Amino acid sequence: MSSKNIETYGEYYSIISEVSRVIPNCQFRSKTARLKTFTANQIDEIKDPSGLFYILPFQKGYLVNWDVQRQVWDYLFGKEMYQVDFLDTNIIITEPYFNFTSIQESMNEILFEEYQFQAVLRVNAGALSAHRYFRDNPSELCCIIVDSGYSFTHIVPYCRSKKKKEAIIRINVGGKLLTNHLKEIISYRQLHVMDETHVINQVKEDVCYVSQDFYKDMDIAKLKGEENTVMIDYVLPDFSTIKKGFCKPREEMVLSGKYKSGEQILRLANERFAVPEILFNPSDIGIQEMGIPEAIVYSIQNLPEEMQPHFFKNIVLTGGNSLFPGFRDRVYSEVRCLTPTDYDVSVVLPENPITYAWEGGKLISENDDFEDMVVTREDYEENGHSVCEEKFDI
Amino acid sequence: MVEKKTSVQAAPAPLLCARHNFAGPAHLVRSQDPGQRRVLDRAARQRRINRQLEALENDNFQDDPHAGLPQLGKRLPQFDDDADTGKKKKKTRGDHFKLRFRKNFQALLEEQNLSVAEGPNYLTACAGPPSRPQRPFCAVCGFPSPYTCVSCGARYCTVRCLGTHQETRCLKWTV
Repeated sequence: MSSKNIETYGEYYSIISEVSRVIPNCQFRSKTARLKTFTANQIDEIKDPSGLFYILPFQKGYLVNWDVQRQVWDYLFGKEMYQVDFLDTNIIITEPYFNFTSIQESMNEILFEEYQFQAVLRVNAGALSAHRYFRDNPSELCCIIVDSGYSFTHIVPYCRSKKKKEAIIRINVGGKLLTNHLKEIISYRQLHVMDETHVINQVKEDVCYVSQDFYKDMDIAKLKGEENTVMIDYVLPDFSTIKKGFCKPREEMVLSGKYKSGEQILRLANERFAVPEILFNPSDIGIQEMGIPEAIVYSIQNLPEEMQPHFFKNIVLTGGNSLFPGFRDRVYSEVRCLTPTDYDVSVVLPENPITYAWEGGKLISENDDFEDMVVTREDYEENGHSVCEEKFDI
Repeated sequence: MVEKKTSVQAAPAPLLCARHNFAGPAHLVRSQDPGQRRVLDRAARQRRINRQLEALENDNFQDDPHAGLPQLGKRLPQFDDDADTGKKKKKTRGDHFKLRFRKNFQALLEEQNLSVAEGPNYLTACAGPPSRPQRPFCAVCGFPSPYTCVSCGARYCTVRCLGTHQETRCLKWTV
């Protein structure tokens, strides 16, 4: 069967096969462009993305707003983008863990009845990452996937490609919370940026890092002048001369006194590492949940004892938040502290954590028994939702 | 009743960050008589914290810029327009979708009725409380903080930060 395979992935980004492009899965409205709502990658067309208003079909990680999602899909699958021929195409779509039955049924209906895809495979994102990991390491039987995304972080153990439902842990801290927290503290301390989600998201990605020794970095950040190596000046974009924000190089920084040029500058010191620290200690801002390393150890300890060493040896970090510099080393050192010495600990960060699950999906689609895993449209029309419920393990 | 947070934002500070903008000499900072200031009880403090945490879950801080604009291109009802019934059928299908599928997250969660369900589910998967105690940080500058504001319970690290806090945020909005 020479049918094409597409895949959409995750809450924040969609990835389409063959080109492996990462596209935002939402709509945008700008206060300058009054008439138009921009969909998905049309964000590149917006001339002035200040005060950008996001419309996300997801809420807390689950798909609630089908209007917006259908508009995004109509755009992506339609004439302007990929011109998908539905009757001849298979789709692999990822869903969050413990997805609600009403959402799953709506998804079935929309994919089969409205878009009329030939065959559908619905999986958890972690299953694709695990598949990819086991392909690289065929001798390993178990792995534990840490998927740290926009709305939350999930710790999911997989044994022989089946997830261990009783040991799944969800931490309600994700990229959105980190960006909102950064917006609040910048707005209080320096400049009102509460409307500028897009800009501050870029600041977070450029400037924040995970510190290996939190209190030592705090002490360095308190120093004044040259000795404060943590402090950085970030030039905000004004969308006329400066299109994208950037950090001022160290030589150009004016450490005491004001800058002569007219640029807007943010001076960030302890915010750089205090914000990603929330992933490791959500109690820093008052969320009474354990952080990522503690949750990994807790999850593994809820599993049978014979399997535990295998899980500790195969910890995989995926998701957008794992791109913070220093993330992997910090997770390793904290998990190492919490684990008995006779177990080996190994934490793997793939080269591209965002597309890692998508690569797993690509491998699955090339698999021989792919046809047994999917549900075809004829199947669905005969048997309805029950065949999806049996075949897909969500 | 809830005051919008925009009204209490400190004015855009110059290049140096807020902690250098102290209110005055140290002995004048705490000039307000402790007896005159209102003290919030534990329930009120907890409500404030909950509200701050919920605000972190928002997608957008501002309102929709397109709200309130007239819809352009909307067809006025034409009374002899019963020729294209096929197209109309699809339109009602779309509306049907909109009505059925516009539940918000909380409604969907309650529908699942998970508290009586057995086995692992969305609610049981939530991470438990941490084993280490909460680390306090100054609400003004973000450094580790030993002291607590008497009135509202916010943390601060030095008397300077206390001054800034009392001028800008202390008891400025209450739940």
